[in-house]
Formats: sequence, structure tokens, C-alpha cells
Amino acid sequence: MSRLTWILGLISAALFAVSALAGTAPVSLGESLAALAGQGEAATRTIVWEIRLPRAAAAFAVGAALGLAGAGLQGLLQNPLAEPGVLGVSAFSALGAVVAIFFGLAAVSSFAVPVAAILGAGVATVLLAAAAMRGAGSVTLLLIGIGLSSFAGALMSLALNLAPNPYSLADLVNWMMGSVANRSWADIMLAAPALAIGAALVLASGPGLRALSLGDETAASLGADPKRTRLLVIGGTSLLAGASVATAGTIGFVGIVAPHVMRPFVGHDPQRLLVPSALFAGIVLLVADIAIRVLPFQQELKLGVAAALVGGPVFIWIAARMGRSRS
Amino acid sequence: MISVNALSVSLGGRRVLEDVSFALGAGGFAALTGPNGAGKSTALKALAGVAPVEAGRIEIGGAPAASLNALARARQVAWLAQARPVAWNLRVEDVVSLGRFAEAPEAYDRMGKEGRAAVDGALAKADAAHLAGRAFQALSGGEQARVHLARLLASPAPCLLLDEPCAALDIAHQLSLMETLAAEAASGRAVLVVLHDLELAARFCQRVLVMDAGRLVADGAPGEALSSEVLGRVFGVQRSAGRQLIRGPR
Repeated sequence: MSRLTWILGLISAALFAVSALAGTAPVSLGESLAALAGQGEAATRTIVWEIRLPRAAAAFAVGAALGLAGAGLQGLLQNPLAEPGVLGVSAFSALGAVVAIFFGLAAVSSFAVPVAAILGAGVATVLLAAAAMRGAGSVTLLLIGIGLSSFAGALMSLALNLAPNPYSLADLVNWMMGSVANRSWADIMLAAPALAIGAALVLASGPGLRALSLGDETAASLGADPKRTRLLVIGGTSLLAGASVATAGTIGFVGIVAPHVMRPFVGHDPQRLLVPSALFAGIVLLVADIAIRVLPFQQELKLGVAAALVGGPVFIWIAARMGRSRS
Repeated sequence: MISVNALSVSLGGRRVLEDVSFALGAGGFAALTGPNGAGKSTALKALAGVAPVEAGRIEIGGAPAASLNALARARQVAWLAQARPVAWNLRVEDVVSLGRFAEAPEAYDRMGKEGRAAVDGALAKADAAHLAGRAFQALSGGEQARVHLARLLASPAPCLLLDEPCAALDIAHQLSLMETLAAEAASGRAVLVVLHDLELAARFCQRVLVMDAGRLVADGAPGEALSSEVLGRVFGVQRSAGRQLIRGPR
């Protein structure tokens, strides 16, 4: 592991500890620390171990999944603005969740919404993979992604229009804004297999991504398999995006910003970018979630809103810089 | 080392290579030349395995190319494309280490001793050792061309294919490139290089292949393959009294 990975890992661990100490419940720092060590009152232990830590783990896991997916897709599409949102995977995943809510499946089983979100991402994956198998290039994939995003967006609007009662409307809004509040270990365990497989697939694409930097033809002549790399990244990012939407709803921009910040530290190498981007994006969402808990708003700010408030301007800044360097 | 038998290739429904046959053994150093659109680049691509073979047969290292997977082929043949995009602002040594992708797909700082030595040696041969550590996109066009050359030389493949490697190089670096390639051939590699500069080809290569309209129309020692008959018929040029190439009746 590189030094950068170690540093980011240590920061993550430290933030987990901070996360266990921060919250609205009237628990003192000493009590929280004792509970973290497994001591003190049962109620405090529950607050720390069953409310704060799962929430922190969810924020970190979702961030890391989005950061890894963003870095993988950017490497594949050779575009620093790519992320699961761009390929329409997040939108389809959210659509799956929204459909589950709209048809009342959420009331039937607590697993309905997460499973629907992963299935939604799967639908987008299959479409993208089919295009990739037929040799679609990066630009084609981006265009398909734009189409998928718009289509999913339209269907979600339709669902909003047809929502039978205001409760489900509130649910929908909740889902589309993104949050990790009240997540349990069970929610995380449900997403864990998809996250693990997705991460393994994207990490396996690493060397192929660096070879693809020289273009498809040269990469192929070097012994890399551009088609396989494309499938690994598309399959992996779909799982990562689906699982993260299932856990926290749609949270944008982290997947774009984290690789952008980390790139200079790894010599712009798309392979070495993967792990640091995941850790950094995890850290960003951990910090954002801690900030949300501490900020004195009457109603808690949504994590997705906080991410977009910071990430949106950064996105525009990156896009503007790209435009300048190309002209 | 490589042999091509009755090779035909079509791209976009158009025949761009028609019945091309030649062979190049270990230690051979041949120039491939011809007017624009003659099919030189396509011939190299077919050898590198990135253009579809429509008919005919390619053998690499004695084995039919069709029987080799991408990795096995990359261990035999290294190809420097005419278009050389680099998507990210990679470090120079990471670009060069990609030349050894088929051996170990590692970035430079994760490579073993042998890999690093090969990368360093290749950078030195391409007169680019001083560029190590620099960001690729900050280099000049000629420097980038030398880094790509180093990437090719870092590969241990016994067959090197180069598509217009002299483009963007100043005259001194063109000459040193040709000397480097001649040395590679002398060390036992087969080197096939697409050149537009007929003087360079005649001076450095043992053999010149001339293509025109998808066909191989001349193949032999420079004096023979670049005879005034071929120059006139294929290129529409002739030698002036001062031995310079000038435009002539086609």
C-alpha cells in the first residue's frame, strides 16, 4: 500500500472515532468514549454502537463506493466529469427505489426498496454492458448514459405526479435527496455483498485502465483487453452505485470530486487513483455527515443536499477549467 | 520472425490491403513506404492484431497469429501507432512502463528490478532519460514522440513495428532514431518501420517495401525497390541531375 493510502486510512479511522462522539443526543464526550470502549450505560452504548457508528459506516461506505465508481468510470471514459450519475446508473437505481415506494412494496418488506434499487442499477448495467459488448466506445456510452438518466428522471417525475398520498411523496423526496440518518447495521449488511463484489471488479480493471490511456488500439496491442476492462468497470460501478443508492438514496458529485482531488497525488495514473479516491470520498461523506449532525438546523440537512451544495460548484469549476485547457 | 501470406484487409467495406505477402526475419531492418493511403498503417495494424484479417495468413514467431491471444501476441510484437493519444497527464516513466504491460502490468514504482532497468534503458536509448519524472502532457511534441519510442523499446518483444516514428522529430533525433533501430535489429530483433523519408530509408535499412493502393509493389534492397521506375510510377517523382527528388511525370 502506498503512503497516501495509509494516510487516508488513518484519517478515516480517526473520523470514525469522531463520528461516535458527535450527535444531538445529550451524551457527554467521556460517556461516549466509554461506550465506544464497551463500558458505561447500556443506553449510551446503544446510541454509540447502534445509531452513530452504523450511520458513520453507511456514510463512509456510500462515499467510498461512489468515489471508487467515479474513479473507475473516469478512467474508462477518460473524462474527469464521469460518475455513476453520468451513465444513468444512479438514476435507474433511484427509479427502482421510487417504483418500489410508489407501488407500496416498501410497506410489504423492508428489503423491497434496497433490492429494487440494485435491480434498477442492474437494468442500466445490462443495457450499458450490451452496448459495450457490441464495441460501443466511450462517447457512445456517455450518450447512452445521458439518455438513461433523462428517461429515469422522466419516470420518476411521473411517479411523483401519480403518488397516491403525501406520505409516499415525502418518502420519494427523502430518497431522492439522499441521507444516511437512522441506518442500521442490517441496512449495511444488506448492501455489503454488492459493494464488495463491485469494488473487486473495479479494482481488477486497474491495469487495463492505465493501458486504455493510450487509446483502445494501442492498449489492445499491449496485451490489454479493452472490452474486458469496459465490462469490469461497468459491472462494478453498477453494483457500487446500486448498493449505495439502496443505502443512502442518490448522492451526487462526490464521485466526481474525489478522483479530481486525488489525481495529482498519484501521477494521474487511473489505476493508482482508485483506492485513494474511494477513501477520500468516504472521508468527504463522513465529514459531511458529522457536520450535518452538529449544525444547528431545526430539521437535519440531507446528506445529498450537503454534498451537492459543496460538489455542485466544484463540478462547474472543473468543467470550466476543462473548457479553458481545451480551447 | 513474421511472415504475411496473401493478406487482405477491408475497413468500412473498402479493400485497403490486397494480397500482400512478405516475411521479415530476426535481425531484419526494413522500411515500409508508399504514397498516402497505400495501406502501410493498416498492414502494421494487421500485424499488431488490431485490424481484422479478411483473408490470408499471418505468422508470428512460427505460429499462426490467429492462434495467439492478445497477451501472447503482445509478447511477440510491439507496435508504435501513428496516432498516439495519451488520455491523462501520466508520468513519463509510467507511459514507458506500459511497453512492458504483457510482462507485468505494473506502474513504474511497483515494477521489479528487471522492469525498471528495461524502462530506464529504453528511456536512455530514446534520448529521453532526462524526461523521467516529468508529466507527459507538459512535454513538447518531439519529446512525447521519444517517450513513445522508449515505450516501444522497453518491450522485450522480438518484433518492432513503427508507424512514422520520425514525425515531430528534429533531424538529429531522426538520425539517432534510425541508428537506434539499426542497433535493435543488429541485436536480433525484426524491425519494420513506416517511413516517408526515402533518403533515410535508403541510408539505414537493408530492405525497402513499397506499397501502392493496397498492394505490395516493390520489395528489395533500397537501390532496387526505390528504382527510378518505382519512384516515377508509385510516387510520381524522379531524380534530378543533382540527385534530388523532384516532382515528375506520373
